[in-house]
Amino acid sequence: MLTEQIVNGIVMGSLYALIAQGYTLVFGVLDKLNFAHGEIFMFGGYVAVASVAMGASIPLALLLALLACGALGLAVELVSFRKFRSHDAHITAALSSFAFGLVLLDLVQKAWGTEPVAIELPHALRIASVEFLGVRFSVVKLAILVVALVLMFALHLAIARTRLGRSIRAVAESATSAALYGINVTRVIQIVFLLASAMAGVAGAALAIRTGFAANEVGFTLGLKALAIMAIGGMGDLRGAFLGGLLIGVFEALAFQWGFGQIADTGVWLFMIFVLLVRPTGLFAARASKEARA
Amino acid sequence: MAEPSFLDVQDLHVSYGPIKAVRGVSLQVAEGEAVAIVGANGAGKSTLLRALCNLLPRASGKVMFAGRSTAGVPTHLLAGREGMLLVPEDRAVLRSLTVLENLRLSHDTRPAGRSFAAANEEVFAHFPRLRTRAGQAAGNLSGGEQQMLTLARALVSPPRILLLDEPSLGLSPRLVREVYAILRDFRARGMTILLVEQNVRTALRFAHRAYVLRQGTIVQHGSGEALLADDGLFRQYLGVH
Ligand SMILES: Nc1ncnc2c1ncn2[C@@H]1O[C@H](COP(=O)(O)OP(=O)(O)O)[C@@H](O)[C@H]1O
Ligand SMILES: [Mg+2]
Repeated sequence: MLTEQIVNGIVMGSLYALIAQGYTLVFGVLDKLNFAHGEIFMFGGYVAVASVAMGASIPLALLLALLACGALGLAVELVSFRKFRSHDAHITAALSSFAFGLVLLDLVQKAWGTEPVAIELPHALRIASVEFLGVRFSVVKLAILVVALVLMFALHLAIARTRLGRSIRAVAESATSAALYGINVTRVIQIVFLLASAMAGVAGAALAIRTGFAANEVGFTLGLKALAIMAIGGMGDLRGAFLGGLLIGVFEALAFQWGFGQIADTGVWLFMIFVLLVRPTGLFAARASKEARA
Repeated sequence: MAEPSFLDVQDLHVSYGPIKAVRGVSLQVAEGEAVAIVGANGAGKSTLLRALCNLLPRASGKVMFAGRSTAGVPTHLLAGREGMLLVPEDRAVLRSLTVLENLRLSHDTRPAGRSFAAANEEVFAHFPRLRTRAGQAAGNLSGGEQQMLTLARALVSPPRILLLDEPSLGLSPRLVREVYAILRDFRARGMTILLVEQNVRTALRFAHRAYVLRQGTIVQHGSGEALLADDGLFRQYLGVH
């Protein structure tokens, strides 16, 4: 029972991490928060619902959520960030992206209503499980965990090893220097929004598949929690977002297990306030925060 | 001058709001030439170089590079496609990337028709110190090493023009000599160089030709040797003796 709860926590935590890494990627290159990110994550769930309803397989539904939300990320960048690149436009970009998210939420509510929409999974898939060391694990949950971990590992490799990753790190450090190195800064920022939003879309779809429905309040609830997780892990730090996500996921699962689930949400926010007070760079970010970026 | 210059600046004006930092500068650099712009602190030297790279908008004027207008060409294309490499005052190496990654990025955006490994061999032969530092973050290098790294970038992917903003700034006399020895080598290979300096004598000794900039305007120009011999120049415009 305890093992199962911890596994649940890790699965949920990997989704938090997936969303939080998106916040942190954008923050890394722009020093700005994308407040539409939570709603893009939410939208991923509806893409999954709609795809499955039209007969798509689960992997295809995840792929469609990835593509649709990636495209939304490009749109947010264009309308809410492109014009507000300067350092004194933090508030403008924040407001604009926040409004973008609210419009998206409203459109989803118009299209699907305000109640959760069930996703029709084959019964056999829903109950499929494997036994490992005497404990049963749901195949769906494990698959979600694997997808999340693979995506985050791929991102890590891309940032650390590839030309794109070097360019992203260069822009994160200084857009001017990056341009003088011949890097197309606008293109790099677009790609960052594309990656961040695509990951959020997969997280949203995975959540809908795991819970069996898409709900429109998850942008506010879980999306904002992922923002807290980013702050707890260290803003702009991918590893911090990863570890922070797992930490909070497991913390919540254990809170439910031990009967104080009611305060789990508040606990996360209190924890963020506490971390920001005692260690503003976040729990896991390396000391020299610029270096740890991306 | 019969044929148009490689870099041809005509009546360039650049302002920061109400402050007119560059006021009607015209200058030419021929291919393979080393040209210096000397002037006191605040004369507008950095502003001029930044405007040439389109890091600053120009109020008016015309800049032709290799026969084409640079108006509206974004900085990254000037740096990559057009081969205009600016090394700004603060060096602007990418501090969070390793030395090797800094070189690699230069190779990425402007590969010089050879492998990165081959380019690196040449770099490390010139800058043995960078070889031992290859895996370290560039931010951990000393000021002199960072300047070497910026020059190494010019070896990895040779620019069509190298713009240097005060390459001697903040360096010890020994390092200044080292930097200029490397620049002399670049010059001998036929690299086109435009550098600005407060370190007037060093720059004039290095350059084929030089312009004197004062309060945003060119007040004199001539061969490096001629300007060097002009005592009046130093007293009048440069405030040095
Ligand atoms: N970012 C800026 N904003 C406003 N004025 C500036 C800025 N940068 C430089 N200036 C002004 O422009 C003039 C030229 O500066 P600069 O080009 O840096 O001179 P130099 O490089 O020759 O020392 C100076 O009067 C300086 O005060
Ligand atoms: Mg200057």
